[in-house]
Amino acid sequence: QQRIEIHKLRDGDNLILGFSIGGGIDQDPSQNPFSEDKTDKGIYVTRVSKGGPAEVAGLRMGDKIMQVNGWDMTMVTHDQARKKLTKKNEDVVRLLVTRKSLENAVRQSMMQH
Amino acid sequence: MFCRNQTARATIARGSALEMEIRRGKFRQSVLMETPQDSDIQKKIDYEIRMREGACKLLAACSQRDQALEASKSLLTCNARIMAYMSELQRMKEAQVMQRVARRSSDAGPMDDRSPCKAKVAISDLRIPLMWKDTEYFKNKGELHRCAVFCLLQLGGEIFDTDMVMVDRTLTDICFDNTIVFNEASPGFELRVELYSCCSEEDYSAGSTPRKLASKLSTSLGRSSGKKMRGALEPGACSPTSNGGGAAILLPVPSVPGPKYHLLAHTTLNLSHVQDSFRTHDFTITGNEECSYWLPLYGGVCCRLAAQPHCMTQQMMSGCLRVKLGGEPQGWTNVYGVLKGTNLFCYHQKEDMEANVEPVLTIGINKETRIRAAEKDPHSKAQNICITNQYGGEEVMHTLAADSREDTQHWMEAFWQQFYDMSQWRQCCDDLMKIELPSPRKPAIVTPKQGSLYHEMVIDTSDDIGTVTDILARRIEEFDLRSQLGSPPHWMSLFDEDPPRSPHSHQHLPPHSPSPRLHSRCHRTPGLLSSNASLTSDSDSPTSVRPCFRQAWSPDSNSSSGRFRPRTLSLDAKLSTLRGRGYGGFRCNCQPPTASSGSPRPTQIALSCSSSTSSSSSSEGSNSQESDLGFSRPSSARRSLRNLRAKLDPRNWLQSQV
Repeated sequence: QQRIEIHKLRDGDNLILGFSIGGGIDQDPSQNPFSEDKTDKGIYVTRVSKGGPAEVAGLRMGDKIMQVNGWDMTMVTHDQARKKLTKKNEDVVRLLVTRKSLENAVRQSMMQH
Repeated sequence: MFCRNQTARATIARGSALEMEIRRGKFRQSVLMETPQDSDIQKKIDYEIRMREGACKLLAACSQRDQALEASKSLLTCNARIMAYMSELQRMKEAQVMQRVARRSSDAGPMDDRSPCKAKVAISDLRIPLMWKDTEYFKNKGELHRCAVFCLLQLGGEIFDTDMVMVDRTLTDICFDNTIVFNEASPGFELRVELYSCCSEEDYSAGSTPRKLASKLSTSLGRSSGKKMRGALEPGACSPTSNGGGAAILLPVPSVPGPKYHLLAHTTLNLSHVQDSFRTHDFTITGNEECSYWLPLYGGVCCRLAAQPHCMTQQMMSGCLRVKLGGEPQGWTNVYGVLKGTNLFCYHQKEDMEANVEPVLTIGINKETRIRAAEKDPHSKAQNICITNQYGGEEVMHTLAADSREDTQHWMEAFWQQFYDMSQWRQCCDDLMKIELPSPRKPAIVTPKQGSLYHEMVIDTSDDIGTVTDILARRIEEFDLRSQLGSPPHWMSLFDEDPPRSPHSHQHLPPHSPSPRLHSRCHRTPGLLSSNASLTSDSDSPTSVRPCFRQAWSPDSNSSSGRFRPRTLSLDAKLSTLRGRGYGGFRCNCQPPTASSGSPRPTQIALSCSSSTSSSSSSEGSNSQESDLGFSRPSSARRSLRNLRAKLDPRNWLQSQV
């Protein structure tokens, strides 16, 4: 488990973090390409913008987000997750993430072929 | 005798019949002799006029602020270029007339004056500091004074504009990332930098909004002269005067609707400002805080102004030489010499130079070097060339010889020209300054604020179609999520018959927060969904979806069949590509949400799978509502259809960008 602190980047009226999320209890977990357990309805990082605040902070594609600023993210809908990350009055988000080890990732990609 | 920088001129033979006719005034010489440069400039003018027409049309046609600002900037740049080209054409015609007059009166020989080489001049990393009053900076009022700014840079006949930057209280500096390179600058160049600004507030009015600043910024121009300058800049009053008068490089613009940029500050840079590092220069501010386009400039501009004279980057002279190496009086070595920059490189042979092999000998040629032609050597046919340098207190002399007298003369001429260039370009010839063009960056994909999907997308040349569809898919999902909140964007009201905003709660929806929510339309759109489903022949949505909708929305299903808008072919193609790529559709969750923290609302299920969030959303930031309000209406219909069709597809695993 890793703690990642992302400082949002201001772009005009928006504060952006520079990554995308997928998942949620209201989503179809079987389509999650990053999860090991295909019934896992957690929130995963699906994309990280190059050079963006998230990449700089150490977030990587495939990370599973467990907490955002102390809020639990393992049992939330997709939209609830998004909202916890995009609060306008917060400049910093502190994430707790788990990352699949490289070995697992390789094994999984091999299994897919 | 080689002479650079001499333009080719066609000559009419003296005493010819043609000349007689011209003298009699039958023909204007200029009619006959349109030099290649003339037609070049004419072509450029025509091109800019076409661009200008395009910009005017775009300005009249576009509905969005961003587009209008960009179009207005293009218009201004086109005007400036037209002005510059026309002045140049005028100057050239005048010069031609002068030369013709001179030639007719005397049999002038070739021009003897030495002219310095040209240079590449680059300006980059422009940064303009702002000085917001302390309280203004930190006071985040609802109303944010924003301006769109850009810089116009002119050197000689070339005009370039930087990208446009939006400036508001949150910025401490205006930064322009562009590197602008001018190619043929002479040592006496004048690089004019102008900062244009346009107010970008929502309630854009022609009048100015007074801004009170506690401290008056000191400007180089006094208030009264500033007003005069501003008055001169108003359209109609501006006359196409030369740049030397200090007037802005603007044409009186035909009144075109849309945002107008005003000159906010300017400065002129020349050779003395060139340095291989960042420097701050004074910025003359025009206008005052009463103007709508005002920004509190600190009064300086920081940038890097570099110059690469051709004498430093190009081979000015090359040829075979003999050089005396070692102490032996008779020991001549054949070399291939190349004069470039501050050195005379002597290679073993010409091929070595091309192959980047190290030269056998490098002789410095700089401001301290002394070169003279020695007395005639009785042993050789031509004069020797002696080059003397000071290497750390010691005087070192090299003796060279060319193959023939003309060659010697050529070399001497080349050295003299090099010295002349170096004296003209001064600090630029100490060391070669680097000029780097930044590689095209991939534009960051930020959350779409408003506008159509296609308008906002910036496609890099390196993107392939896969990336494009990626971007589209993400955008569609973005829009999906917003409507899932239970408060779809107000453009959905196109499908309503009732007036848009009814803050009173509809019987299907319990009231939420006091802020006016657009949820009155929730119940209607699924009606549209059902009609869509029936109309799409290639729809992948399984039949299980439709009954779900119909059940939930039967009271309203008949409300919207007539409001279907025609789709464009390209949209269909894009969507089928999306589906094909396995982005999937939207899986309808027909059961009530499991983690509902609010009261279950079965009527909302089909539209939003996260209806349970609605009750908690009122306590959190309502950024999505705010951004929804910015949607424009005309392109919304197509977009909503796209969204709905994407939603019907049950294979979606949604992704959101944060």
